[in-house]
Amino acid sequence: MSRQESSQSFSTVPLERRLVELTILYEVGRALQATLDEEKALYTILVGVTAGRGLAFNRAFILLVDPEQERLRGEIAIGPSSPEEAAAIWHELREKHQTLGDLLRAVDRSTVRKDLRVNEIVAQISIPLQASAHPLIRIMQSHEASLAQGGVFQPHGLPVDESLAQLLGTNAFAVAPLYLADENLGLLLADNAITGAPIDPPRLKMLQIYAQEASASLENTRLYRELMNRIEACENANRVLRESQYFQLQAERLSTIGRMAATLAHEIRTPLVSIGGFARRLLRSTAADDPRREEMQIIVAEVSRLERLVEEVLGYSKISKPECSLTDINDLILSVLLTMQTEFERASVRLVHELDPGLPKASVDQAQLRQALMNLIANSLEAMPSGGTLTVSTTFETDFLEIGISDTGIGIAEENWHRVFTPFFTTKASGTGLGLPVVSQIIDNHNGSLRFESSRGRGTSFHVRLAFDPGRHVATADPPSIAPSQEQNS
Amino acid sequence: MRTILIVDDDKNLRRLYRAEMEAEGYRVMVAENGREASEMVAKEVPDLVILDIRMPEMDGLEAMARILREHGDVPIILNTAYSCYQDNFLTWAAEAYIIKSADLEPLKKKVKETLSQGAGGP
Repeated sequence: MSRQESSQSFSTVPLERRLVELTILYEVGRALQATLDEEKALYTILVGVTAGRGLAFNRAFILLVDPEQERLRGEIAIGPSSPEEAAAIWHELREKHQTLGDLLRAVDRSTVRKDLRVNEIVAQISIPLQASAHPLIRIMQSHEASLAQGGVFQPHGLPVDESLAQLLGTNAFAVAPLYLADENLGLLLADNAITGAPIDPPRLKMLQIYAQEASASLENTRLYRELMNRIEACENANRVLRESQYFQLQAERLSTIGRMAATLAHEIRTPLVSIGGFARRLLRSTAADDPRREEMQIIVAEVSRLERLVEEVLGYSKISKPECSLTDINDLILSVLLTMQTEFERASVRLVHELDPGLPKASVDQAQLRQALMNLIANSLEAMPSGGTLTVSTTFETDFLEIGISDTGIGIAEENWHRVFTPFFTTKASGTGLGLPVVSQIIDNHNGSLRFESSRGRGTSFHVRLAFDPGRHVATADPPSIAPSQEQNS
Repeated sequence: MRTILIVDDDKNLRRLYRAEMEAEGYRVMVAENGREASEMVAKEVPDLVILDIRMPEMDGLEAMARILREHGDVPIILNTAYSCYQDNFLTWAAEAYIIKSADLEPLKKKVKETLSQGAGGP
C-alpha cells in the first residue's frame, strides 16, 4: 500500500508537469493556428512565453532573419522593465483572463504594443548573417536551444557576447532557434531578468519545443501573406482583363456608332443637295428687293452648315491607319501656314514661327498630319476673334519631336478641359465639334501624344509629340560628311 | 446644242439637275438607274454623262463600264454622296469625281470645262 502510494507520488509530479506543458503547447498552438496576421502571431508567441500560466519567463524577445538585409534582427519583445511593473501587469492580466487560452485569445491589435522598453532593447540587436562566428548565429544554425549562464552558452560551449549581456541587463537567458526543415527563421530569447529566478534544463527544453510550434505558425502566416499577395495579383490581373474587355466593348460600340453615323451622313447628303440646290435656284430667280430673299438665304446657309457637318463626320469616321513616309515636319508646317495665309490676314493674327532647323525627319502620314495641323491652327484662329499672335514651334529630344501651337486667344474654360477631345463637343456657334477629336485621332494613329495648357483670357498651347527613329536621324545626317571623301576617291 | 445624260435614282435631284443644266443651255436626258442609262446611250449617245454611283438595279460603276465599252469617248462625271469609291480604280476611268453638294457650281464648271475640251467645242 505504502509502496503503491510512494510510486504514485513519485510519478504524479512529472505527469502533472507534463500535463501542464502539454496544455500550454495546446493552448498556444490553438491560438497561433487561429492567427494569420504576422504581428499578432509574434505577439501571441511572446505572450505564451511570458504568461504565468504559460512558460512563465519574465521577458521574451524575437529575433528574425531579414533575408534582404542578410541580418538577424531584433523584431519584437515583451516584458516589464521593473519588478513593480511586472507585478502590476500580471495582476491585471490574471484578473481579466482565467486561462492561458483566454489570455491568448485576448491578444489583438490593441494589445500589440511596441512602446515597451524591451522593444528599445530588441531593436538594438542586429547581427549580419555572415558573422558565422557569432554565438547567436551559430546557435540558430545548430537548431538546438542553448542556455547562457556564467558567461557560457550550454550545451554549445560558446562564450556569451559581453555586449549582448549588457544590453539585456542579465547574463542568464535562454535561446531557442526558430527554424523550418531547410530555413532559419530566427531566435526566440527568454530570461528572468526581473525575478532572477534560475532557468532549469526542463524549462529550456520546453522553450525549444515551444519554439518549434512558433516556427510552424510563423511559416503559416508567411505562407498566408504570400497567398494573399498572389490572390491580390490575380485580382489585379482579373481587373485589368475586365477593364480591357470593357474598353473593347466600348470600342466596338463606338465603331458601330461610327458606321451608323457614316451611313446617316451619306443618306443625308442627297436630300441636302435638293433642299440647298432648289433654295439657290429660288434665290437666283427672286428680285433683289424681295423680302423673302433673306429667308431663302437662311436655308442656303443652313444647308451649307449641314453639309460641312456631314463632311466632318465622314472625315472623322474615315480616319484610318496612317500611311507613313519620312517627312520634314518643318516643311510640312510651312506649307500648311502658306495655304492658310489669307485666313491669318483676315483674322489679323501675327504669325511667329520658331522652327528648329536641326529637326530630324519623322515617319508620318503627311495628309493626316497636315489635316491635324490645319485643325489646330484653325482652332487657334477662332480663339482670337480680335486678333493676336500665333506661335508655331518645333523642338526635339533624343527620341521624339514636339510641335507647339500657341495662341493669345480667349483660352479654354477649365470645366471644359476634359471634353475638348470629345466628338461633337463645341462652345462655338458655328463649330461642328469635330476639329480637335480629329486631331486627337490622327495623333493617336501615329502613336504620338497630344496635350494642351490653357488659361482664360491669355491663350492656349497645344503640343503634339511624335516619336522618331533616332537611328534614321543619324543616317540622314551622315551622308553630307561622307560625300566629299567619296568624291576624293573617285 | 450639247446633250447631257443625268443618271440618278433620286427624283428630286433629277429635277434639280435638269433645271440647272437646262438653264446652262444644255439639252437634258435623265435616267433612273444604270440599266436605263446604258439602254438610253445605246439609242442616243450624249455629249456627257453625269452619273450617280449607288443606284438600284445597276449601279453607276457597272453602267460606266458598259457605256465606255461601247462609246469610249463619252466623258463621264461621277457625282455621288460617297467619297470612298475614289479608292476604286474603276472610278479613275471617269472624267471627274465630284461629291454631291447643294452648291452645283463645281459640277457646272466641270461640265463646261469637259465639253469645251471635246471635239467641236460648245
